[in-house]
Amino acid sequence: MKRLLSSVRDGRGFDIVLVAFPLGFLFLMAGLPLLYNVLMSFQEVDMFSLGTFLRPFVGFKNYTDLFAQPETWPILGNTAIFVIGSIAGQFLIGFGLALFFWVNFPGASWLRGLFLVSWVMPGLVVGAIWNWILSGDFGVLNFILKESGIISGNIFWRSDPHYSLYAVIMANIWLGTAFNMILLSVGLAGIPGDLYEAAELDGANAWQRFWTITLPMMRSTIGAIIALGLIFTLQQFDLFAAITSGGPNNSSNVTQYWAWDLSFRQYDFAKGATISVIMIVFVMIAAIVYVRSTRHEVRG
Amino acid sequence: MSETNRNRLMLVIAILMAAIYLFPLYWMYITALKSGSEMFATPPSFWPSEPQWATYGFVWESRNMARYLWNSLIIASGAVVLITVLGVGCAYVLARYRNVWVDIGLFLILMLQVLPASLMITPIFVGFSQLGMLNYPRLAVIIAIAAKSMPFFVVLVRATFMAVPQELEEAALVDGNSRVGAFFNIVLPLARNGILVSAILIFMQAFGEFVYSKSIIQAIELQPASVGLNSFMGPNTNEWNNIMAYATIYVTPILAIFVLLQRRIVSGLTSGAIK
Repeated sequence: MKRLLSSVRDGRGFDIVLVAFPLGFLFLMAGLPLLYNVLMSFQEVDMFSLGTFLRPFVGFKNYTDLFAQPETWPILGNTAIFVIGSIAGQFLIGFGLALFFWVNFPGASWLRGLFLVSWVMPGLVVGAIWNWILSGDFGVLNFILKESGIISGNIFWRSDPHYSLYAVIMANIWLGTAFNMILLSVGLAGIPGDLYEAAELDGANAWQRFWTITLPMMRSTIGAIIALGLIFTLQQFDLFAAITSGGPNNSSNVTQYWAWDLSFRQYDFAKGATISVIMIVFVMIAAIVYVRSTRHEVRG
Repeated sequence: MSETNRNRLMLVIAILMAAIYLFPLYWMYITALKSGSEMFATPPSFWPSEPQWATYGFVWESRNMARYLWNSLIIASGAVVLITVLGVGCAYVLARYRNVWVDIGLFLILMLQVLPASLMITPIFVGFSQLGMLNYPRLAVIIAIAAKSMPFFVVLVRATFMAVPQELEEAALVDGNSRVGAFFNIVLPLARNGILVSAILIFMQAFGEFVYSKSIIQAIELQPASVGLNSFMGPNTNEWNNIMAYATIYVTPILAIFVLLQRRIVSGLTSGAIK
């Protein structure tokens, strides 16, 4: 007992205690729910069996039922559009801004940091602001687009099924662009400057330098950022809750909102768990890509 | 073009881009000051003709914002305390050793970091309801947020500990400190700033948390400001000046903290996510 105490105070035991509690906590509060989710996706869960673990086992019935529902494939399609559209927008605008701020001028780093306010704001507030900007009759976006001659009539961003998903994508691009830009700036700062000097001596113009030096040198950073973007867009829930609630008629619904809606609006916890399991597999794949592309740093 | 002129031109373009990017924020502040009729004017006014400062007081009282913000504060502080107490030690150990177990631990932590809250809430809610945790809804939300955000905190703080030279700790051990003493007297003070910045980041996240609070907390008296904002925005609302006033009161403290600590927050963030 005494030796154990002294090991905790002055030896390996100290490290083990420090690491055991957090990992135990994470296992209980994140690992177990993950396993429980998989279990529930094979069970029949309703309001009456919510209090017990021993619910009727139904095999793959939840999965086959889910894919027999007419809205499942459109929602999966929406999720793909949402993810691809958001990542493309965030990355391209973010890369453009990062390249611009890479040219060092006084105040550059401070102004660049200011962009991050979009990322620290609560998602629900961002959603509320965009909900108002995108409003059909009185929204300022419609006004600006009409004044500049891009559209002739008001677009009902939130209630027109053709536009509702793009309304959320727009808000999400705004929210995530700054984060992309900051991480890309870090990657740009890591490219050795003498590479460019050498290329300039060899007569390469700016365009050639971008394609032959910047992009190849940024490859692992870009991989990490795209994977992170996938992870973050699949976590995006608040904007849907604040702007369209997945409507009208599921036209802007995506899986991460639908899973919550099934569980907490329709009280179909088994279906909610089933769609969660499917999506978590996707997120895990993205996470493995992310970890692989930052592996050098993780190993130190 | 001379160096100074080029710098000035770049600065002007940069400010212009920042202004366009931050326009939504400007629109929130401006709308909150508009009267009911000015808000729906066409063309919209880009500067309020008669600023309605009374809107803030009205919204604060009528929406009971003090209670909502108090709940947000309790939830965010609770989550930060729990995460810091558990996460700092974990990050320290993961920074101090290099072996296959540390790699496995880091990999598991990174995996947990990516689980979307809206997908994890179903099993967490069902599990909590079976354990009777839903009778303490705010505590339940604190625990759920802690489990969600701790991996991110550990990754950030680990980067801070990596920057503390191990020789200092070894010297303290040679001088007769115990491991506990060296940790609390030498390592922790050196890593204090990084830990503080990471805790502030976690606080800002938890202060705006929505999914868990919305799903777990049924009683209005215990709900945080994000849920309050959500119930304020009905499907056919036209009270946009009041909603924007609510949003302004809610985010301005967060934005103030961010602008004040911007440099530290940005560098702390980037050190954890990529480097």
